[in-house]
Amino acid sequence: MKKKNQSPLLERSMGGLTSVIAALICIVVGLVLGLLFLLILDAQHAWKDGFVPIIQAGFRNVGNETLAKVGMNWMTVGQEIVEAAPLIMCGLSVAFAFKTGLFNIGAAGQYTLGAFGGMYSAIILHLPWWACLLVATLFGALWGAIPGLFKAFLNINEVITSIMFNWIGLYAVNTIIYGRGSGAMFNLKKAETYAIKEVSPQSVIPSKIFGWDMFQTFKYGSISIAIFLAILVAIVILIVLNKTTFGYELKACGSNAQAAKYAGINEKRSIVLSMVIAGALAGFGAGLYYLAGGAQWNPQDSTVLPSAGFDGISVALLASLNPIGCIFSGLFISHLSTGGAQMTQVYFPGEIADVVSGIIIYLCAFSSLFKGKVMGWLKGGKKAKEGQAQ
Amino acid sequence: MTLLIKYTLIYGIVLMLVALGACFSEHSGIINIAMEGIMVIGGVFGLLVLVMLPAGTSSFMKVLISICTAAAAGVVYSALLAFASINLKADQTIGGTALNLLATALALVLVKRYNNTMSGGTGTQSPKLSFVNSDFIFNIGPITVNVFLFVGLALLVIAIVVLYRTRFGMRLMACGEHPQAADSVGINVYRMRWCGVLISGFLGGIGGLAYIVPAVQVWNFESGVTGMGFLAIAVMIFGQWKPGRIFLAAMFFAVFKALANIYDSTFLTALNLTKEVYNMMPFIASMIILAFTSKNSRAPKAEGVPYDKGQR
Amino acid sequence: MTLADYVIEMLNITKEFPGIKANDDITLQLKRGEIHALLGENGAGKSTLMSVLFGLYQPEKGCIKKNGQVVEIKNPNDANALNIGMVHQHFKLVECFSVLDNIILGVEPNKLGFLQKKEAREKVLRLSEQYGLKVDLDALVEDISVGMQQRTEILKMLYRDNEILIFDEPTAVLTPQEIDELMQIMKNLAAEGKSILFISHKLAEIMAVADRCTVLRKGKYIGTVETKNTTVEELSAMMVGRQVNFKVDKAPAQPGEVVLDVQHVTVPSKLHKNNAVKDVSFQVRRGEIVCLAGIEGNGQTQFIHALTGLDAMSAGTITLCGKDISKAPIRQRSKDGMSHIPEDRHKHGLVLDFTLEQNMVLQRYWQPQFQKGGFIKFDAVREYSDRLIEQYDVRSGQGSVTVARSMSGGNQQKAIVAREIDKDPELLIAVQPTRGLDVGAIEYIHQQIVAVRDAGKAVLLVSLELDEVMNLSDRILVMYEGEIVGQFDPKTVTVEELGLYMAGAKRMEL
Repeated sequence: MKKKNQSPLLERSMGGLTSVIAALICIVVGLVLGLLFLLILDAQHAWKDGFVPIIQAGFRNVGNETLAKVGMNWMTVGQEIVEAAPLIMCGLSVAFAFKTGLFNIGAAGQYTLGAFGGMYSAIILHLPWWACLLVATLFGALWGAIPGLFKAFLNINEVITSIMFNWIGLYAVNTIIYGRGSGAMFNLKKAETYAIKEVSPQSVIPSKIFGWDMFQTFKYGSISIAIFLAILVAIVILIVLNKTTFGYELKACGSNAQAAKYAGINEKRSIVLSMVIAGALAGFGAGLYYLAGGAQWNPQDSTVLPSAGFDGISVALLASLNPIGCIFSGLFISHLSTGGAQMTQVYFPGEIADVVSGIIIYLCAFSSLFKGKVMGWLKGGKKAKEGQAQ
Repeated sequence: MTLLIKYTLIYGIVLMLVALGACFSEHSGIINIAMEGIMVIGGVFGLLVLVMLPAGTSSFMKVLISICTAAAAGVVYSALLAFASINLKADQTIGGTALNLLATALALVLVKRYNNTMSGGTGTQSPKLSFVNSDFIFNIGPITVNVFLFVGLALLVIAIVVLYRTRFGMRLMACGEHPQAADSVGINVYRMRWCGVLISGFLGGIGGLAYIVPAVQVWNFESGVTGMGFLAIAVMIFGQWKPGRIFLAAMFFAVFKALANIYDSTFLTALNLTKEVYNMMPFIASMIILAFTSKNSRAPKAEGVPYDKGQR
Repeated sequence: MTLADYVIEMLNITKEFPGIKANDDITLQLKRGEIHALLGENGAGKSTLMSVLFGLYQPEKGCIKKNGQVVEIKNPNDANALNIGMVHQHFKLVECFSVLDNIILGVEPNKLGFLQKKEAREKVLRLSEQYGLKVDLDALVEDISVGMQQRTEILKMLYRDNEILIFDEPTAVLTPQEIDELMQIMKNLAAEGKSILFISHKLAEIMAVADRCTVLRKGKYIGTVETKNTTVEELSAMMVGRQVNFKVDKAPAQPGEVVLDVQHVTVPSKLHKNNAVKDVSFQVRRGEIVCLAGIEGNGQTQFIHALTGLDAMSAGTITLCGKDISKAPIRQRSKDGMSHIPEDRHKHGLVLDFTLEQNMVLQRYWQPQFQKGGFIKFDAVREYSDRLIEQYDVRSGQGSVTVARSMSGGNQQKAIVAREIDKDPELLIAVQPTRGLDVGAIEYIHQQIVAVRDAGKAVLLVSLELDEVMNLSDRILVMYEGEIVGQFDPKTVTVEELGLYMAGAKRMEL
């Protein structure tokens, strides 16, 4: 009897373990295929100038003594951390929408709007950093609400709407920022937005936390407490999804909208709210990145959507939609793209990292297939052990 | 005005080709959101072959070989979607999204690699590919047309005949509407779905090349194909999954798209709108139209649902 | 009798699915020109056995012989090549195709891949004449009646020159009169030399049409009998494994005050311009079970959706315990004392990926008993769920934390019944509460419904099964094309009489 009570718990922890193993399989296969690709491109340099830098990524210079002397050996690790924060947030955005049965491919657009909101309130309004973050979040939420409304009230697939509004958002933001070269946020000399650090220092997210100045450790310009804010949000999302009636309603709508309606849950409201929150998360992520002080927006580069929104899909899938998992997968994807830049560019373009992460999402799309196998293997192994014990 | 016609024809044929591709895939039951990526792959391979062909190659051969390459590349790339979504029963939207992201990354790697090699391995990192498009273009009276207009119209007729007059088309649509019914009368659902997706790769690959080649002489692959693949999906929905209507819908959307290219040379300059606003227009138009047409959608009933022989 | 007299023999068939032996050493022999019934409860393995014959499943053990020769049937094509055809319980028709296209799909006459429909049309017309199967070849399947769809399925088999015809539960969707018609068609087919396998769990139909009957129970072969040498009682004992009393034990109803008052309710159709429900008025009182009877698709579903708030109605009022709830949201109706056992337990009744305990509080998770400040009280949920499981005998692998998807249909339904009854409603709406369940579960659920009535609550039952309608209800309302066309006392009305009203042949002024 006691054993019977334990087994579900065991099952659940085994489910978690299965997800981790499945993610690792995706990563390993993705990396192996990436290596194969490197070998095809240039076999001679594939290992030393290609694969090794990708794996080492930001940590490549940690052991470099020359850099260590000036305290710069952790700099690229700092870069990884800075870039991980928006990725974690976009991952949470995609994962949250997924839990409610929606595929938020619009994180890129919500991120774009969030970036605009954050930069506007910093460069023009000179608001303090937390207020700028809030504005970024609101802008993202607004852009997330649109596909939600289309889905709830017109029953138009959120995927197609999100994609359309990605482009609409991008063109709109670019047109406003650029303003034919005379936009108030546009620094004509550098062909990008004004640096927030220079025009509104109070809008930059601080780098000190509990007396620890992260900048002293990493020496990376835009290092900030953003990463901790992202982790905090991940924990909040976990609690909302698993412990509250609100999360229960959203998940009910996600698994079976008809049954949720039958149960008296307002499923239209749930769809809209879930997209609003997903948008807010992406917008918050954009705030974390652009308010860290290191990045500016180039409105003339008008046909490229920010990649963080799409990488968020990899982050979410790799994490099996678990909010805490998103922290780790976000760090990993950031590690990977930093690694792309660490390759010897004479031989290999940095986009190879994107190829690898593309392969990883492709594998994630059918990871449930080998999740079943892994689960069976885990159980089989467990049974065999029990058999031995007896 | 002739410019407007020129660009409308260019974009209209592209949207039509790609929407027809998506249409074949969806009629077989597979949502192909990877059209954007397939276009990029078709475009990049077609162009690379075009620029690498020896100088003495005749115009006809250049056109033929590059189009065939684009189509073949599209077919091969779409096979990745078919394999994941048909054989492995992956989520079609996620699989398609992965292929979209992968396509842009692959194209960039290839183009940068090519530019680097051409410049003697000095590490040039240009994502732009220059080419000569004169072989594809000729004038009929005052209007400049390109070879894809004829290719596209021929393929449109073929698509209509195949879908409505042949055994293949009937079986394909049965698989997208009710795969269990198709299976019960001995139709191999997996094979039909493979065919549907590969056809979408064929048309999407040509569409990618048709988008890039006629309008410009240099292409920046960082922007992929700027959302044309997604617009084509909207065109397909607007066209109610019917080739004839898709053609009309494509031309309609193409006018908006063309405006972005020519607004500054027409009376529209008086409106004082930026290029971005015109770029936005087809997307906004598609959303408005979808909002009005969504209620009576005739989407294939079984699309998006992996077919599992075990589940009946 | 020589071996060759059997046109099809399925010998010692065993088919296993993970965790269950769906067919365990089953033998079935079909004679040429006979109508052979395959009888068993839901879940007895009838459909699995037929799927094996049709090539949809491969058996682990056993063999199939045709005319005494062992044959291998790997897929429906093989079955087709052996002239085996099947009318599936859920029709396998492409709805947006015409009748003709559906008939020729898979065996299309063509030249170089181009369709040649003319000769096909002639052949189909000839066949429909010969067997009296009237259909409109150019109509789209989505526009024609269920009976016509069934004839399309039969023509599909005849077009392929099939000799062995399998009918999987063909009468479930038909009116009594349409059933008689089908029986006549089946007899005609047998007379023309076709051999027919008729899958059913309805004893009267089997007695009426079949020559012999093979009975399955829980995946096992029980026996084969000649219908002329047996009785309904004997067959039912074979099917269930014990003597069954199909009559529900209940005291006469003692109706009290009105609980539900429906006046002039009209609901628009989502499929066509006409109204799905037209001007429906009736009342349900405390202590009575009122049954809404009718053939599937006559507006019952739409009416229930309007009554429970799932869909809007265009006119009329609904009053529950004296309170107008015509426009109230679903949650409010639930609070006012309405419980709803939905028609489709997978679509509406359960969130299949949730655990049993999460499903047990689907209607009540927001009550103070189960949440505080928006946070779910997991202990309270577990306690409540454990109690319901115990009290209503819901069986599952891991109790409260079992994922609903992994439970059997009967236990899923029991869980829903438990949840809805335990809310202690004033009005219980039960829509096809026993569909697809075995006799044990059916008896249990019937008892529970009677108990609710006896506790002084009002019950509105919607059922397509005439046996259930006759046994369980205290009053019968017949719905035809969205209207109430008759009201009856089950003690005084006959099934045949009900059938005439259900088919629209008769109506009374109410």
